[in-house]
Amino acid sequence: MTDNAAHFAAFSFVDRITDFVPGKSARGTFHVPADIAAFPACLVAEAVGQLAAWVSMEHIDYRGRPVAALAFETRFLGAVAPGDTLQLNVEIDSVDDGAVSYRGWADVNGTRVIELNDCLGPMLPVAEFDAPEALREHFALLRGAGAQPDRFHGVVDPEVTVVEHLPGQSMRAALHIPTTATFFADHFPRRPVFPATLLLNAQIGLAGTLAREANAGEATTEWVPARMTHVKMRAFITPGQEVDSRAEFTGTQDGLTRIALSARNADGKTIATARVEFAAAGA
Amino acid sequence: MAIEITKDEINAVYPTVAETMADALGCDVDDIKLDVSLIEGLDAESIDFLDMVFRLERAFKIKIPRGKIIDNARGALSEAEFEQKGVLTPTGLAQLRSYLSEIPAERFADPMKVKDIPRLFTPETFCKLVVQAQRDAKAAA
Repeated sequence: MTDNAAHFAAFSFVDRITDFVPGKSARGTFHVPADIAAFPACLVAEAVGQLAAWVSMEHIDYRGRPVAALAFETRFLGAVAPGDTLQLNVEIDSVDDGAVSYRGWADVNGTRVIELNDCLGPMLPVAEFDAPEALREHFALLRGAGAQPDRFHGVVDPEVTVVEHLPGQSMRAALHIPTTATFFADHFPRRPVFPATLLLNAQIGLAGTLAREANAGEATTEWVPARMTHVKMRAFITPGQEVDSRAEFTGTQDGLTRIALSARNADGKTIATARVEFAAAGA
Repeated sequence: MAIEITKDEINAVYPTVAETMADALGCDVDDIKLDVSLIEGLDAESIDFLDMVFRLERAFKIKIPRGKIIDNARGALSEAEFEQKGVLTPTGLAQLRSYLSEIPAERFADPMKVKDIPRLFTPETFCKLVVQAQRDAKAAA
């Protein structure tokens, strides 16, 4: 895929915006291509966030674009499989040139699969990331005929090297962010940034290992993320960066296994934090 | 003109403000002192200020427009009277000192850049912000 072809394709998860109240709310769809291996929950959250981004960018006439920063609560309610079609919804609490705050959710066949509550994205100058006219044109396409379906071909997870592991207690791993990946041409064309949702997806993978280990004596062996809270992104992750990722078991309550997540850059500065709760599959 | 906010009003909101800030900054609530500099004492960054305001809005069921502290500090002054090319005018600096009366005088630079104002903020600054927002909400009701 060329860089040009990857724009609005390699990491874009809104096919059409079917209902739109400027600055207030939107509904849209995204069809998950049937031929990809998987569509993790973090990408469903990304799809909801991207719909909110379209509403907010349109509202401020493409002077700024929101970036992922704070998500107080994400509830993972069901898995999404290749071939599913997401029905995306967002309600904007407030939006201006400084930031957007919103909530949103996604359904598949009438069943809720994810909910995002109390999300906030600060606005950065759009021209640093993308061509405002290209965004305007693409928004018109999404409001009209819709984007070309099945243009997403999956993402390659960053390579992970576990450097410390106390089973059931804590895990520390180096995430090797690739220097090149097709999604960098879409996220973003003028300034490639490793998507926060892919960082969280990798960290959920580490946390899942800890959750299984922490519950080794339980009859259930499959633990799934149920809720993520306190997501805070402090800095961008750039191509080729190595991220020191940590997961720490913090306790179990009401059948939920709690893990604290953090990520640091090479200088030891914290660049992301979050908390995730795992539940027994099917609970 | 300085906003007259009493110690009792600050003390009434302080426990919730401190808990909210500790949660946002990922520190112990005991680390939050009324007069600690949020940036220099607690390593707060711009994203933390957004986070704190967002949480305070929810905790107190108030609306705090972004940039409200500096708007409050500016008071009745026009933008040009308050600052010129990103630097506070003498009148603007006097107004800021008056508004942030809880901040020791030696912490104000002279001249002072607008972008450096957040370096002065303490939990007490946010208590005053909450009290003012509560008053505004009451007045609007």
